[in-house]
Amino acid sequence: MQSGLTGFIRLLRSHDVRVSPAETLDAMSAASALGYADRERLRNGLALTLAKTPHEEAVLLRCFDQYFSGQLPDFSAAGETTMDSEATEPPLSAEPPAGKDNTRDMLEAAATEVPALDRALQSDLMRQLLDNDRAQLSLALGQAAAEAGLGNIRLFTQKGQYTRRMLDALGEEVLRDAVVALEQADNPLLELVRGYRDTLREQVREYVAREYLIQAEGHNRQFKDEILAGTRLNNLEHRYLHEVHELVRKMARKLAARHSRKPRTQKRGRLDMGRTLRRGIPHDGVMFHTYWRRQRRDKAQVLAICDVSGSVASYARFLLMFLYSLQDVLPRVRSFAFSSHLGEVSDLFREHPVEKAVELVNWRYGGATDYGSSLLDFAALALDDINSSTTVIILGDARNNGGDPKLEIMQSIYQRSRRVIWLNPESRRAWGTGDSEMLRYQSACHFTAECNTLKQLERIVDQLLKQTA
Amino acid sequence: MNIQDFPQLSSIERIAQGFEALGYICSPKIATAVYLAFQLRKPILVEGPPGVGKTELAKTSAELLGVPLIRLQCYEGLDEAKALYEWKYGKQLLYTQVLKEKLGDLLHGAKDLAESVERLHQFGDIFYSEDFLEPRPLLKAMQQERGAVLLIDEVDKSDYEFESLLLEILSDYQVSIPEIGTVRADVSPMVFLTSNNSRDISDALKRRCLHLYIPFPSVELEERIVLSRVPDINETLRHQLVEFVHALRDLDLKKAPAISETLDWARSLLLLHADHLEEDLVRGTLNVLLKFEDDIRNAESDLTSLLPARAAS
Repeated sequence: MQSGLTGFIRLLRSHDVRVSPAETLDAMSAASALGYADRERLRNGLALTLAKTPHEEAVLLRCFDQYFSGQLPDFSAAGETTMDSEATEPPLSAEPPAGKDNTRDMLEAAATEVPALDRALQSDLMRQLLDNDRAQLSLALGQAAAEAGLGNIRLFTQKGQYTRRMLDALGEEVLRDAVVALEQADNPLLELVRGYRDTLREQVREYVAREYLIQAEGHNRQFKDEILAGTRLNNLEHRYLHEVHELVRKMARKLAARHSRKPRTQKRGRLDMGRTLRRGIPHDGVMFHTYWRRQRRDKAQVLAICDVSGSVASYARFLLMFLYSLQDVLPRVRSFAFSSHLGEVSDLFREHPVEKAVELVNWRYGGATDYGSSLLDFAALALDDINSSTTVIILGDARNNGGDPKLEIMQSIYQRSRRVIWLNPESRRAWGTGDSEMLRYQSACHFTAECNTLKQLERIVDQLLKQTA
Repeated sequence: MNIQDFPQLSSIERIAQGFEALGYICSPKIATAVYLAFQLRKPILVEGPPGVGKTELAKTSAELLGVPLIRLQCYEGLDEAKALYEWKYGKQLLYTQVLKEKLGDLLHGAKDLAESVERLHQFGDIFYSEDFLEPRPLLKAMQQERGAVLLIDEVDKSDYEFESLLLEILSDYQVSIPEIGTVRADVSPMVFLTSNNSRDISDALKRRCLHLYIPFPSVELEERIVLSRVPDINETLRHQLVEFVHALRDLDLKKAPAISETLDWARSLLLLHADHLEEDLVRGTLNVLLKFEDDIRNAESDLTSLLPARAAS
């Protein structure tokens, strides 16, 4: 049973539920405390020890049902259906065949003529099939799966290969030979034996399909996540939008968790009498060292500005999406969007679901770019709020259509804020070419980076957070 | 805690029965969690919407075990001086002043400085001993002789630093006090942490706990809860009001009514001598269930569609 549990945990890991070795031990001791007899109880126990969020719990419960589905294969149908079909045909003997024993007798009678059938009847497999001994059969299936290394199945195209390997491991070839021999002898029992063979194949195929779902689904998702993260933002197709959104959320949450507010002790405010007196005891009660009660909290404020003009339209959707997720998880984020003019979109983001919000922003602010007047708008809206704990993030390509870049506004933002970060979807080589003002704006930024894949974005934000810490 | 000491916790069924006798109707999952927490000596992190009985679970457990409940309410800025221990600095200071004279007597006759120091050393660290220690909830829970139920309420409101402080306590049931050493619990307390998910709790803390998520109960379970808490209410009304609350939870509300609100409502309906739900009655008492003006307005507009179906059933 322990191996069953570790298998289950491996399955959970492949479905993005993080399970540490210590938790594995916990789960095992929980399982042994609860016993394996009561399924519902074990399920609850594992959910309690292994899941850490309601989402993980839902995944776990689903996986549990999948993994421990424990359905035994049913072969009784094979005999019956073929019996039925046979009954409609002219009967072989005077009495119509009825029941299992009859089938066996018939087969044994025929076996004297066809040696291959005799061999098949001698095998364990055929005996189990005839008796419909489900427990033995499911055990045999499990063993065959282990022999065939079914746990390593990863790709959809491997299904056939593994099915064949499992059939071989089960010793299906005797059945196959018997079918061939019966076919050549033109024996009327052919249909019956073929029925058994086909049901067996069907069961094995299902077994493999289920195992594939269990083993490979999670791996494939990881694989897809990695590919998505490395794809250039504007190449992503529409249908991935939803998944990208999930990815961005996951990332933003990771960042938010790390972006905790740090308390700082301050040298003013109310005196912490307790600590001060205590420190004074060694000096005969003279208070050399003073301690203060109040701690100041760094409340980092983030202002994010996103270019949604035509030149970056395809990136903008994703940048906006990132912005949206960021606002969702970080407490003090104000978002702005611009092309020819600029406006605050924080409320839009707050009130609408992401797809709609991004749509609305695109529709309301999309158009030809004018960095100069947009910066003016920004200054009017938010310049007074910028202080030494403000981070300004600008997402845009700095292509200003030859207009006045209004560098002086950028500079005053630069001077007031803690940090100005400019993320440019264009590659560094293109900066400053044509109507790009990037090189000039760069002089008024603390940090500039090229950013056109999710992976880059993640790395940049990671880097930034590390610097704050 | 040993299993022999608490036969109430020897099986999941007994826990569920014990809780029920105390008026706390729980799902099998909750009983399993308590059983496992006790067997594996692990804290339980209880999550769920406000008002589903997270705090109540800890209280009832303490009652079931017959041990004191020690509660620590978390908030931003909670530090170890308030949660763990503090030195009685006033007493320390007073004693140093009072004992100053005694010191002279003690050192009387000492030949030189070295001998004086030698004599003083014999007395050890008087001022940093347990006598001068003011235990706060966490330390207090460790010191209970018969064990205790420790409730760390709304741990998500505290700071990250405080979470790290909890790690040692929760995994080994011990506390390090630099001046004294390590204080270990003779009988490890049963720990409940509750969280409303206002922020993510660190993985390190999560993995030390059993994770119990309490959702809103099913209709059947909630009816049993109402029956046990407000036994005087008649059956039709009980059924109607629970159905109505469940219908409300399906609406898009800022804050869905929780079990505690259902109970409050049941009590107020009882006070008003109602025996079935009527529109006017519901309209007048909706503010017991819903805590936001928007939600009340929202529900009122849907009231007719929510109610007649119920009344018919």
